[in-house]
Amino acid sequence: MDQAKIMEAADRLWTAAQTGTPCAPVRDLIGSDDVEAAYAVQEINTRRLLGNEERVLSGRKIGLTSKSVQAQLGVGQPDFGMLYDDMEVMDGEEIAWSRCQQPKVEAEVAFVMAAPLTGAHIKMIDLIASIGFVLPAIEVVGSRIAGWDISLADTIADNASSGLYVLGQSPRRPADFDMRLCGMVMLRNNEPVSTGAGAACMGSPLNATLWLARKMAAAGNPLGPGDVVLSGALGPMVDAAPGDVFEARINGLGSVRAAFGEA
Amino acid sequence: MADLPAIAEILDEAARTANAVAQISETTPLTSDDAYRVQALSLERRYARGERRVGVKMGLTSRAKMAQVGVDDVVWGRLTSAMRIEEGGHLSRAAFVHPRIEPEIAFLMKAPLSGEVSAMEALAAVEAVAPALEVIDSRYHDFRFDLGDVIADNASSAGFVIGPPAPVSHDIANLGMVLTVNGHVAETGSSAAIMGHPLRALVAAARMVATAGEELRPGDIVLAGAATAAVPLMPGQAIALQVEGLGAVAVNIGD
Repeated sequence: MDQAKIMEAADRLWTAAQTGTPCAPVRDLIGSDDVEAAYAVQEINTRRLLGNEERVLSGRKIGLTSKSVQAQLGVGQPDFGMLYDDMEVMDGEEIAWSRCQQPKVEAEVAFVMAAPLTGAHIKMIDLIASIGFVLPAIEVVGSRIAGWDISLADTIADNASSGLYVLGQSPRRPADFDMRLCGMVMLRNNEPVSTGAGAACMGSPLNATLWLARKMAAAGNPLGPGDVVLSGALGPMVDAAPGDVFEARINGLGSVRAAFGEA
Repeated sequence: MADLPAIAEILDEAARTANAVAQISETTPLTSDDAYRVQALSLERRYARGERRVGVKMGLTSRAKMAQVGVDDVVWGRLTSAMRIEEGGHLSRAAFVHPRIEPEIAFLMKAPLSGEVSAMEALAAVEAVAPALEVIDSRYHDFRFDLGDVIADNASSAGFVIGPPAPVSHDIANLGMVLTVNGHVAETGSSAAIMGHPLRALVAAARMVATAGEELRPGDIVLAGAATAAVPLMPGQAIALQVEGLGAVAVNIGD
């Protein structure tokens, strides 16, 4: 890996985030599909945020969990990004448009962890046993890259296109609803703009989360108590416009709202 | 003046022999009213061959499909006894032009229903709800049609498979639906994609059959509409639909 180019890519994305002005893709520097280089870029900006900026990790997000999105980017794997505590927005709280960068919304299952997940081979039963509770969530994804012109490496380098997130307020246990078959509808002005089911997320949100838990443990940054995991979209992502209010309903899990302010 | 009985014969023969025909709109654009007359006439031909009307199907029940065809209301077609496919059974690919399958919710009626009704009145006329698969098959080349074409072609209805019935107390607003082909997930969706709530499709069905002087009758099946995009059918496919809380329905595709 060319460290100078990785640093240049990190700087380009950092500046775009700081100024709110989208930048060119970084694939000219690190290639379109070099996953290792892309996570190295993400890691540089993670360290900046946790170090100089004193931001606090609140969890992780999983992206590229649907077959159609994986096919679009020509990959067979999801990706992950970091969540910080100031990304959280309250249910229905107005989201200042200036906080968003080319926002789109996705309805997801959020897991809140109650126990650490460490070790060489984390199993599904370990994951299920470590879940404190489950919440419905809307992830407001964003892109620092102009026009969402992203390759696999671009989105990974850009913290998996993370933005903001809203959590619902009806905690459930994993046994309380059907993780695979739960229906999802996201409404805007009473119209369903995205529909889906749990199975759209790698067969089940638990499958995606187990993938993440293993990745995090292997990277020495394991999931632990209090961590929020946004496990991936249950239906197609939808463009958000100023003034839009979205409500996501996940059957058996409750509902949550994302309300955007005027530009 | 369009020769509606002649058009009905063309479409009925196309369906009966599984041979695609040119869009009617290429030579004779049909108004919705005329298109529904053609549909009724073509169904009369089926009844004359011994088929019975056993229910209705609703189509264009998602915003995406309405936008595709450029309309803002749903359409309906008639289901006949010959379209019924045994749950867990086989259907012959060769009996259709270019069949596709869609995951749906079905209502079984227990009381007559027709005209302007509320969702509550509609539900009171329902005996049971069930997961269902609908086989759609446009009788036009390349599955291309305008609104008049598709209405005249019985809203592309071609076959249906009904799964196990559940009581109407079951909340059907937002049920996850997973359609698999040979075990692989082909489509995922929610019953909420059907007009926001499948019961709205039943209300629309009651309104629309009344305009044709018909009613939903006890024992009728009403297919509420598709929850996802349709999947093309090919011989050798094992198709299964699982619906959250309602169970599963399956069919196998033969030559």
